[in-house]
Amino acid sequence: MNRRNLLGLLGMSPVALAGASALQASDKKTDQTKKGTTQTGGPKLEVLNPRGLPPPITLVPMAKRLDTLDGKTVYLISDGFPGADTFLNQISIWFKKNMPSVTTVYRLKAGGFADDDPKLMAEIKEKGNAAIMAIGH
Amino acid sequence: MGIPSAPLVTKAFKDLAILNAAKRGMPHERICFTPHPVWGKTPEEVRAYVEGLDPVSGKPLMKEIVDALTVPLSEEEKRSGLVSVSVGPPTFTDTADNLQEFYLNNGYTDFLPILLPTEEKVDRMMKGSSHKPDEVVGKMAAGAYPPWSYNVRQVAASAVMAGCRPEYFPIILAIASSGMASLFSSTNSFAFAMVINGPIRDKLEFNYGIGALGPFAQPNATIGRAWTLLSKNLGNGGIPGDTYLGSLGNNLNYNNVVIAEHEDASPWAPFHVQRGFKKEENVVSLFRGLGVVPGQVARGSSANENVQFDYQLSDLFSTFTGFFGALIIADPLVAARLKEQGYDTKEKLIDWLYKNTTQTVKDYKSRNYAYLFDYPRALRGDEPWATWYKLPDDAVIPHFPRASDFNIVVAGGQTNAYPQAGNLSYSASISIDKWM
Repeated sequence: MNRRNLLGLLGMSPVALAGASALQASDKKTDQTKKGTTQTGGPKLEVLNPRGLPPPITLVPMAKRLDTLDGKTVYLISDGFPGADTFLNQISIWFKKNMPSVTTVYRLKAGGFADDDPKLMAEIKEKGNAAIMAIGH
Repeated sequence: MGIPSAPLVTKAFKDLAILNAAKRGMPHERICFTPHPVWGKTPEEVRAYVEGLDPVSGKPLMKEIVDALTVPLSEEEKRSGLVSVSVGPPTFTDTADNLQEFYLNNGYTDFLPILLPTEEKVDRMMKGSSHKPDEVVGKMAAGAYPPWSYNVRQVAASAVMAGCRPEYFPIILAIASSGMASLFSSTNSFAFAMVINGPIRDKLEFNYGIGALGPFAQPNATIGRAWTLLSKNLGNGGIPGDTYLGSLGNNLNYNNVVIAEHEDASPWAPFHVQRGFKKEENVVSLFRGLGVVPGQVARGSSANENVQFDYQLSDLFSTFTGFFGALIIADPLVAARLKEQGYDTKEKLIDWLYKNTTQTVKDYKSRNYAYLFDYPRALRGDEPWATWYKLPDDAVIPHFPRASDFNIVVAGGQTNAYPQAGNLSYSASISIDKWM
């Protein structure tokens, strides 16, 4: 499934993706549960939508990209899943071979895989120009 | 972080990665993908991945990574603002058959038939509690996702769907108020359990005798099921590939492990009293972990004149992952025998199990969960893992980090003297009375 369809499943409308702010979900009632459903007999019932309320999404502008990686320091971050270290080591080897002016720095993120590691993030911000983060399995 | 980054994710988690990035505000994050899995591959195999194609885009992976860090941002990628997410209209109208089909097709059910949450049924359910329909009950997420919020009426809708009676509703609200979903995103296919204590066990006719963990009483069956429906509908859990990644899944997720403690037949203090509640209070306690196994598999579990349940339990727990705790579900016959052995309190048994269920540091470090979860915590200086990682390989350490990782409840019909044991961690105890 492509990204746009996936985001549609999330409930993010194409209008939202195009950038309209603070869109509101429709609060209209519906009498059409599923297009194409074979209609069966019997009286119609009104039932509650059992879903909870998702939080609004605050769009975060992505960080400005670099003009080039030449001469830059790229942090290679593992979140701790087995194999990430091996994978990132191969990426480091690839840079040495194909883009030798790039410096790579490997780090294992501290804490659980979903935890923030503010100390490491501060280090990357201070000493790095970009990051590649390997996530899971 | 403010500097360009390229997330690198295996293909199996494509939908999860895209959707979770979107939920956190970056619907266009430049995620690069590798073949799956990376775990267990040799350096040569991994090199082929690195030098090969991104299996999602079909382009060379390293070009994708370099582009992710260097290609100028599009207008979409620079965008800020607030976006609401729709879950559809507040009500649906159709025939009963079509609505059943609609709920099933939209993931609102556990794929078993439901009671349709008509306004009349939901109103009747809410009469089981004094709390107002619009009162916010809590927030829930099925993993590291932004949590959803919900009110009393929305909780009642799932309780109706599960087949609960209105008098069960305070328990459902107490569970919902915990914010703990019984469907969790982990690839490890988690299981969940609840322990019910207090007079409400008899008032609602929970089964804590013969077949205590089986499908033999309405509150045990439907309250457990309701937790799963709450988790799907209020916590957005249980969407395969998005909020649920359990590789095999877990059959216990249908209605979870519901344990009403057999307080009268137990020689020990009830579980909720151990947690600081009064005996006459009604409490639900929640657990999370991997599942439940029968005590019959333990070494030395044959019946004899001097059966040693403490050693049996320790043997059983030595096969568990120490990442989660150990929950003993003791038939009253087992509990009575343990008391005869000298364990006149749960705490004495827990202390013995903690000290006698051990492992070497070498064995510990070889475990997947130790590398994945504990080692990063050791790096951060968290104890006891920081100390364990400094010890020599032949040092002997506890199998579980803390004595508090052990918990004991008593349930069962005394037709045979076997325990069951859950690789389950205690999470929280919630007053049911507050939701009456």
